[in-house]
Amino acid sequence: MTQDARRGRRVTVVLAALVLLTGAALVALTVSRSGGPARDGPEAGFARDMSAHHAQAVRMSFIVRDRTDDRDVRLLAYDIISTQSAQIGMMTAWLDEWGLPKTDPAGPMRWMSGHGGHPGASAAMPGMATRERLTDLEKASGRAAEVLYLRLMAAHHRGGVAMAEAVLARTDHDRVRRLARTMVEGQRSEITLMNEMLRRRGGPAA
Amino acid sequence: MSKSARNKDARKPKDALTQRETPWGAIAFFTLIGLVATVAIGYAFMQSRPSSADGSASIAGMVIKDDLGRNHTSSPVDYANNPPMGGDHDSAWQNCNGRVYDTPLRNENAVHSLEHGAVWITYRPGLAAAQLDALKAKVTGTDYTFLSPYPSLDAPIALSAWGRQIKLQDASDKRADEFLRAFVKGPQTPEPGAPCDGAKDTP
Repeated sequence: MTQDARRGRRVTVVLAALVLLTGAALVALTVSRSGGPARDGPEAGFARDMSAHHAQAVRMSFIVRDRTDDRDVRLLAYDIISTQSAQIGMMTAWLDEWGLPKTDPAGPMRWMSGHGGHPGASAAMPGMATRERLTDLEKASGRAAEVLYLRLMAAHHRGGVAMAEAVLARTDHDRVRRLARTMVEGQRSEITLMNEMLRRRGGPAA
Repeated sequence: MSKSARNKDARKPKDALTQRETPWGAIAFFTLIGLVATVAIGYAFMQSRPSSADGSASIAGMVIKDDLGRNHTSSPVDYANNPPMGGDHDSAWQNCNGRVYDTPLRNENAVHSLEHGAVWITYRPGLAAAQLDALKAKVTGTDYTFLSPYPSLDAPIALSAWGRQIKLQDASDKRADEFLRAFVKGPQTPEPGAPCDGAKDTP
């Protein structure tokens, strides 16, 4: 083999290595880009369902603020409205960033059950109050409204904690885990607080 | 290859020192690399375009309308589309948190819900019971949607979001789910984050 031919081969090898490296980099980039949460994965399902769950907590809290003058209950409701509204915004921003839909027409909670959803079974979301209970709350006033609100919200929070724990068991996504952990801790301590408030109002703990 | 060319080849001296062979190996190698790169780039490109969250998501038969009015008014509004898909509206939105209404709604309230990111599903009265049940199930399970009959509808079913509308013959049409995925709280929403409850709760 001549020196020319050998040099030519060496150039070919170097070029080939460069092209291979570029290709590998491209593939890596593609994989990392498509590695975001999936449309039907636990992160997206949690973001969608918890948004709907939070929206009802906000609604109930607004109702009770219209139905009682009690400072403690109104302050707790104010806290829940502000916190959960902001969290809905965070979860909506995740879905925006991931380029994923804000709804799943196949029904809620599929990410938790792992099998086909039951369209129309939004009651399957744990802790959600029925429309009838919300109407009761809208009609109640004073002490009765406070007690009903505290009972509904304690149950609502317990459902929320279960959902947050479910996503913690299913994802390694940092931001999702961080928010879910704060929900578990925050809502647990509010359940304790609400049970105390219920006792002070002569109602049984929820 | 012509006969003369082959003869010419045959006459070429077979000298290993001077012969320049066609580098088939290298050609195959680079072709393969090129293909891989093309596929990778194409795939990355497809991935980087989220079709579902794209405001201009195109669904066959969908009507798009821009520059819709957004003023609040307590008087009746003469809408250009039937059902309306945006425009001036009442200050109270129709509750749209997965609500099924059995009687027609006031346009002016429903349009306000579209502004909040809801999809309004309307049907022509007389829709087959199985189809109506399918629509009810869909709406009950989906926050930021609401369902009501619409007597003057010129199709069995219509789905409307702010500035987006599609009319369907059948509730099982796949475009219904596509429309919901694209536009429930979708990028067309003029007021993202606005609520679907706390306002008008009856037709």
